[in-house]
Amino acid sequence: MSKKVFVIGLDSAPAEIVFNQKEKFPNLKKLIDNGIYGNLTSSHPPITIPAWMVMCTSKNPGKLGLYGFRHRKDYSYTNIWIATSESIKEKTIWDVLTEYGKTSCLVSIPPSYPPKKVNGYLISCFITPDAEKDYTYPLELKSEIEGKFGSYKFDVKFRTNEKEKLKEETFHMTEQRFEVIKYLLRNKNWDFFMFVEIGVDRIQHAFWKYMDKEHHLYEPNNKFERIIIDYYKFIDEKIGELLSILDDKTSIIVVSDHGAKRMKGAFCINEWLINEGYLVLKNKPSQITSLENVEVDWTKTKAWGWGGYYARVFLNVEGREIGGIIKPKDFEKEREELAQRIKEIKGPNGEKWETKVFKPSDLYPEYRGDYPDLMVYFDDLYWRSAGTLGHPTLYLPENDTGPDDAVHAQEGIYIIYAPWKNVKERKDAHILDIAPTVLNLMDIPIPEDMEGKPIT
Amino acid sequence: MEEKEFKEVLIPTTLYKKIEEKIKGTEFSSVSSYVTKILREVLSKEDEKKEVFSKEDEEKVKERLKALGYID
Repeated sequence: MSKKVFVIGLDSAPAEIVFNQKEKFPNLKKLIDNGIYGNLTSSHPPITIPAWMVMCTSKNPGKLGLYGFRHRKDYSYTNIWIATSESIKEKTIWDVLTEYGKTSCLVSIPPSYPPKKVNGYLISCFITPDAEKDYTYPLELKSEIEGKFGSYKFDVKFRTNEKEKLKEETFHMTEQRFEVIKYLLRNKNWDFFMFVEIGVDRIQHAFWKYMDKEHHLYEPNNKFERIIIDYYKFIDEKIGELLSILDDKTSIIVVSDHGAKRMKGAFCINEWLINEGYLVLKNKPSQITSLENVEVDWTKTKAWGWGGYYARVFLNVEGREIGGIIKPKDFEKEREELAQRIKEIKGPNGEKWETKVFKPSDLYPEYRGDYPDLMVYFDDLYWRSAGTLGHPTLYLPENDTGPDDAVHAQEGIYIIYAPWKNVKERKDAHILDIAPTVLNLMDIPIPEDMEGKPIT
Repeated sequence: MEEKEFKEVLIPTTLYKKIEEKIKGTEFSSVSSYVTKILREVLSKEDEKKEVFSKEDEEKVKERLKALGYID
């Protein structure tokens, strides 16, 4: 029997919505109630890049050499490189399947630009610069898709106050993606099909405070209160349409790359480092600006940080950075001391935070590429990191670069529904387990260097 | 056991002194910083990768990633 696997990727979907409110989503409920499901612990960091590729290669971020979207180029203070499909050097699920003559159909899995050759079909993801670029494999798939569905929508700009417009654009983007997927399901040969819907993440970031009564900016009876759940209902209906096309030899997997939770605020990492004497500027900025736009006195600077859903902190080390001042022999001591001081940071009202600080060696058996010296989850990710300067306070109630209400959570979700199996169980798994699970469901040998174990 | 973040390399004293003179008054804080920078340049030329994005596209993608909150 030819066993096929269909993977539905919902970027950022948390158990609190998908599992705890399953009664609202009949199609997802059917999969949950008749399959194996549970929390899916994400990678460190739990960020779209690297998480989807950790899932698809069953390799940890250290092995992939991916610690986020951007990385320092050659320990430069300012030059960065952006992760693309070319950054992925480890074998993916579809690379393994190709060796066994299986075909794959891949839609918008980050990062998949530029489109790489695959034994099957591929549409790239939201890091595609624009729809003018070649974003499919094979090349002619682009005109085929555009001829039927118009210009492909990769993403929406969610950090906006035009909420009605954003809502409309997100529903529209998702609708189009599902139409494209339906078309591919019906018209292309595939053994493995996987897509990622980024709209889930965008709608959560944009509308979380309207839904979550615990959010510090929640307003009762606001008009956007139900948008996130309405969006999930919409997705559920669309998933139902896809399921009706699939045959009973196809296993269905629903996954998210990480979870989501309310944002408590943004912590100004670089302002804090200035206060603590680690970062020294030549001139104090008079307005809010990013670190790359101010003159840093590198002869007096020991450390600086990056913003994002987690903070990356770098030490200024002699022999590594051009103007490094920390002696290599003092590096570990300085790093340890800074890590301790970061762990002791308290909240705006003096409350204790559950801040996690990691060295790459704490997380990865080996680490490649341009890794940070410290990785920081302020208050277990409830506070994002703001890299900008010029704020009157260390604690921002809103994000520093546009409205954003949600942060990432370590726990995502998975559901596995194999029609011929009669296993109903809730058990937690790890994001590394998904690639071996797919191969196992397809009776393909699991490469020995995959780090996860099949969920059975 | 964690691999050390730094390893020593020996260079002739005359070369060391020459570099020391050369970096006086520059952004380089030490001979090690200068030597590391030069070696990185040499190695990255050998290992030159095809650039995925044009300058314009890279800016476009960086701006988008900023707008999405992944970079700031």
